[in-house]
Amino acid sequence: MTDPYDNRYPPAASPDRTQPRTEPHGSAPRRAPYGRDPWQEPYGQQLPQDTSYGSYPYDGAPSYDAFGQAPQRPPHTREAHPHGADLAGLRSAYKVLRRVSTLTALGSFVVYVALSCGAPDLMGSKIAGELSLGMALGILQLLVTFAAVFWYGRSARHSVDPLARAVRERTVRPGRDAGVAG
Amino acid sequence: MNDYGSGTQAVVLVLFSTLVTLTLLMCVMAGPDRDDLTNFYTGYRSLTPLRNGLAIAGDYISAATVLSTTGIIALAGYDGYVLAVSTALSLVLLMFLLAEPLRNAGSFTMGDVLARNMSGRSVRVASCVVTLAATLPFLVVQLSGAGSLLTFILGLSHETGARTACIALVGSLMIIYAAIGGMRGTALVQMIKIVLLLGTSVTVAALVLNRFDWNPGEMLRAAERGSGTGPAFLQQGLQLGTSAAQRLDFASLQMTVILGAACLPHITMRLYSARDVPAVRRSMSWAVGTVTTFCLTVIIMGTGAAALVGSQSITAADAHGRTSVLMLSRALGGGAGSVGTTVLYAAVAGTVFITLLSSVAGMTLAAASSLAHDLFAHALRRERAAPRTEMTVAAWTSVVVGTVAILLSVLVENWDVAVLTTLAICIGASAVAPALTYSLFWRGFTRTGLLAALYGGTACALVLMVFSRAVSGTPSAVFPHADFAWFPLQSTGLVSIPFGYLAGWLGSRLDHRRRTAESRENRRLYEESEARLLAAAE
Repeated sequence: MTDPYDNRYPPAASPDRTQPRTEPHGSAPRRAPYGRDPWQEPYGQQLPQDTSYGSYPYDGAPSYDAFGQAPQRPPHTREAHPHGADLAGLRSAYKVLRRVSTLTALGSFVVYVALSCGAPDLMGSKIAGELSLGMALGILQLLVTFAAVFWYGRSARHSVDPLARAVRERTVRPGRDAGVAG
Repeated sequence: MNDYGSGTQAVVLVLFSTLVTLTLLMCVMAGPDRDDLTNFYTGYRSLTPLRNGLAIAGDYISAATVLSTTGIIALAGYDGYVLAVSTALSLVLLMFLLAEPLRNAGSFTMGDVLARNMSGRSVRVASCVVTLAATLPFLVVQLSGAGSLLTFILGLSHETGARTACIALVGSLMIIYAAIGGMRGTALVQMIKIVLLLGTSVTVAALVLNRFDWNPGEMLRAAERGSGTGPAFLQQGLQLGTSAAQRLDFASLQMTVILGAACLPHITMRLYSARDVPAVRRSMSWAVGTVTTFCLTVIIMGTGAAALVGSQSITAADAHGRTSVLMLSRALGGGAGSVGTTVLYAAVAGTVFITLLSSVAGMTLAAASSLAHDLFAHALRRERAAPRTEMTVAAWTSVVVGTVAILLSVLVENWDVAVLTTLAICIGASAVAPALTYSLFWRGFTRTGLLAALYGGTACALVLMVFSRAVSGTPSAVFPHADFAWFPLQSTGLVSIPFGYLAGWLGSRLDHRRRTAESRENRRLYEESEARLLAAAE
C-alpha cells in the first residue's frame, strides 16, 4: 500500500530536468529525491515510524508541531525548493497516519474474520444471555468505528493539516494571486 | 402474490408517484448549466460536507446492500452480521487510505486520477473499460431485481410482462435522473434517499426492539426459533457451509467486500466534488457515520425478520431473502388491513423504491461520465472537445448505458443473477483497488503496471467468476443444471486480488527494465505532483 520501492532508482544526475515550480532554479542545487535530502533527515528521524502500530500515540501529536515551524529550515533551501522539507514532513505525517489507521481498521477486521472462520466454537460461545462473543465483537467494531473516525479527523487536523497549509503557502509566491492555493 | 388490501396498494402507488414527481422536479431544477463541465461532473463543489457526506452514503448504500444484506442476515444470521460489518468498514478504509489523495488527484473520473502522470490513450481506455466492467454488472443486477421487487410490492402477478414493464419504467427514470441531473441532481436524489432510508430503518428497528420489550436476548432467541436452525443461527457457516473450504470461501468473500465495495467508481466519483481536503474528511465522517448507523439497523432488521417472519416464509417469497424487509414491515404493523400496516408498509416500499432508483441512477452516471470524459473527450478527441459537446455526449451516453442495462436486465430477468453483485465487488477489489493504491502511493508505478493491474485484475476476476461454483455446479447457481465449474469458491477475491496487485507490480518492474527512461519520467512526474497530491498545492 505504501511505497516499498521508494529508493529503487539512484538519484539520476540529470541537470536538464525542468522544475516548473521553482523560480530561480538555474543556479540552485537540484532538489534531491525524497528520502535522501539531507535537510529532511532531522525531520524524518523524529517520527516513530514503524514502531508502534496498534496503540494511538499520535493523539495529541505534539511531535508534529515541529514540522509547522518553517523558519527552522535552512534559509537557502527555500528559494530552490518551494516545498522541500515541508513536503517531506507532510509525506511522513500522512504515511504514519495512513498506516496506523488503515492497519488498525483492516487488522481488526482480519482478526475478526479469521477468528470467525478458524475458531467458530470460541466465537459462538455465549457471553451474556443469547449474545455470542462473535456477535458482540462485530457490533463492537461498528460502535468503535464512530470513535475511530473521530480520532482520525482529530489526528489529521493536528498532524497533517498544518503541514499541508505550509506547503500550500510556500507555493503561493509574492505577487501571485492567492487563489491558486485552493 | 400478496394478499393485503387494495387500499395498501393504492397508498403505495400514490407514494411512488409523489416520490418520482418530487425527485424529478428537483433533478430538473438542480440540473447543470449546459456548457459547464465542472458543474455537470461535480456540481461546482458547492455541497456542504454534511450534504456531500449524505450523498456519498446514498451512493454507497445501494438497493443490493439494503435488500440482500437484510436477507442474508435473516437467513444466515452470523454470516450476515459479518457482511454488515465488512460493508461499513469498507467505507472506513476508503476514508483512511484513499479519500484525501483521491480528492487531490482527481477532477471528474477515475481516468483523471490514473492518467494524471501517464500520457496516452491506453490508460484512459483501460480505466473506462474497468469502470464499465465494475458498474454494468451492478446496474444489471439491481435493474433485474427491480422487476421482481416492484411486482412484489405492487402485488402484480409474477408474469414476465409485468416484470419487463417494471424494469423499463425504473430504467427510464434512472436515465432521466442521470442525463438531466448530472452529479448535482443525483446528489439531491441520493440525499433524499438516504434521509428516508435512515429514518425508515431506524423506525423499523425501534419497532422490532419494541416488539421484544427492548430485550436483545429475547429477539435472538426468537430469531433462532424462527430461522429453524437453532443455535447455528448465531454461528458462522449458514451462508456458505462449514467445511474448511467453505469457511475459506467465506473469509475470501468478506475480504473482497472490505477491499472492493468502497472502491467502485460511482462512489469514488463523489469524492472529487468536495471543496478541499478538510471538507472531504468531514464528508467522509458523515458518510461513515450514516453507513455505520444504517448497518446497525440492518442487523436489527434482519434479525427481526428471522424472528417475526420466519425463514420459511422468507425463502418462499425469494430464495435470497431480498423481500425480507418488506415482509418484516408487514409483520410489524397491526395485521393485514390495519392503518399501522398500511403506513409502515407504504413507507418501507417507498424507501426501497427510491433506493433502487437513486442507486441505479448513480451507477449510470458514473459509467456515462467515464465514457464521455475518458473515452470520448480524452481518448477519441484528445482533449480537443468543447465542454458543451462533452456534456451533450455525457447526456447521450447516459441514455446508451441505461438502454444497454435495461436490455441486459430484461434478458436475464428469469435467471438468478445475484452473483453479478459479487462480480462487481471482485472487480473493484482486484482491478480498481490495486490501480488506485499503486497510482497514489507508489512512485515507481508505470503505464504497463497500470494496464496490467486494470486488465489483469478484471480478467482474472471475470474468468474465475465464470468458472466458479456460483455460476454452475450447485443448486443455487445461475445455471444449476450445468457444471463447468473448476474454481471451487463462490467469490474470486482470494486469487484475483493478489493477482491484480502482482500484475501491477510485475508490469512496473518490466517497464523499469525495458523502458528505463519512460519509467524515470513517470517517477519524476509523480514527485513533481506530490505537493498537489498531498497538500492540494497547485
